[in-house]
Amino acid sequence: MSYSTFNRKQFDSMKEPMFFGENVNVARYDQQKHPIFEKLIEKQLSFFWRPEEVDLSSDRKDFQRLAEHEQHIFLSNLKYQTLLDSVQGRSPNVALLPIVSLPELETWIETWSFSETIHSRSYTHIIRNIVNDPTVIFDDITVNTEITKRADSVSVYYDRLIEMVSLYNTLGMGTHHIPGKGNVEISMPTLKKALYLTIASVNVLEAIRFYVSFACSFAFAERTLMEGNAKIIKLIARDEALHLTGTQHMLNLMASGKDDPEMAVIAAECQEEVRNIFIEAAEQEKEWASYLFKDGSMIGLNAQILGQYVEYITNVRMQAVGLDACFGTKHNPIPWINAWLVSDNVQVAPQEAEISSYLVGQTDNNLDDSDFDDFDL
Amino acid sequence: MTSTSKQGTPSKDQVHRVLLGKQQFLVTEDEPLLPQLERAGIHIEYQCREGYCSSCSIKLLWGQVEYPFEPLAWVHSGYMLACCAIVKSDIEIAFFHE
Ligand code: FES
Ligand SMILES: [Fe+2]
Ligand SMILES: [Fe+2]
Repeated sequence: MSYSTFNRKQFDSMKEPMFFGENVNVARYDQQKHPIFEKLIEKQLSFFWRPEEVDLSSDRKDFQRLAEHEQHIFLSNLKYQTLLDSVQGRSPNVALLPIVSLPELETWIETWSFSETIHSRSYTHIIRNIVNDPTVIFDDITVNTEITKRADSVSVYYDRLIEMVSLYNTLGMGTHHIPGKGNVEISMPTLKKALYLTIASVNVLEAIRFYVSFACSFAFAERTLMEGNAKIIKLIARDEALHLTGTQHMLNLMASGKDDPEMAVIAAECQEEVRNIFIEAAEQEKEWASYLFKDGSMIGLNAQILGQYVEYITNVRMQAVGLDACFGTKHNPIPWINAWLVSDNVQVAPQEAEISSYLVGQTDNNLDDSDFDDFDL
Repeated sequence: MTSTSKQGTPSKDQVHRVLLGKQQFLVTEDEPLLPQLERAGIHIEYQCREGYCSSCSIKLLWGQVEYPFEPLAWVHSGYMLACCAIVKSDIEIAFFHE
């Protein structure tokens, strides 16, 4: 089956599964199989922001005054976030658009990925403001082994899915011999399994991997340092909290069998593997915290506290996708972080606030007379 | 059971009991559960406080809650989102890891 940019078949898109059904043809949103994705699009659009709106002039002075080990913490986190958003700015599009079958989900994927490009642009904005030569920082991302190790883990599931889908599109089902890779079995179950694991790993990326870095940014800001950066990170965190809901919905819909009964079987089979994706990522993030603090901690944070926070947030994210919590940590060791993560602290233009309340309070055109019983007209 | 509804009939001054382990709290229908428990000194994890991130998900063992508008986060059966749920009867809650 090869991909078509405008599928000429006639079919009822309300009956298609999220993925691996018909290629989408008409981009229509008047009817939706899963209205949640349309709601996520509206919410994401109401969040729109531009990095250049955030003033970073005092961050430059703050950065120069940071101790060397604190500069290491700050820059390493920026590099890691740059890596994560480089991946997220393209991969949902490259991996998921060729196999998506619902117009509202297709548009959510595009909207989601677009917002990641804003995150990427914001890192250039931040780095330009604090150092004279951004190249030194960007170039290190592809050679620093602490970063590249992480690049492997965040891209491996995406890359496998992309490869399998391209084999499926060119050679079809069957066992194909790929030079250098051996035999690759392409069947609906193997494709769906690759997809399910990819969505799980993306959930982990957005719902866990960012949080060590978020915590450090907000710990600096608690000391009134790098506050422009913290403002940008707050905006990124707000977007990421929405993105993680997107992948949680996909995973939960798949596991429920309501979208595609075959996917429920795959989800059940993959449960152990998905648990391991969460646990492995948490261990990697704890290791990352040790790397950050190798030359010294910062006020309010050290590798141990951050490690406990990683365990705590991993538990929260696991239960959100129906998995049992796997770490013993029962309390958030840095509860102050939530005041930074909450969205209503984010400065927004008044008209933007109005837009979001307008969307929430939209009138329902399907009211019948009885709905007006309480009104004096 | 969780349920969603449009603006229910306003029932200010309605007070309900919330059981959490051996503790008991009184809450009203004027605002969601989360801020009321926070004022009682209970820490509940949160992020967005707007129903889209699922961080405030807790177990609803029994009793009724309603959402003034449908949250964007997935709500598993037997769970509730503390940041946006209005308590509508006596309820018993628990944290997910308990
Ligand atoms: S705090 Fe985000 S859903 Fe409740
Ligand atoms: Fe991002
Ligand atoms: Fe994201």
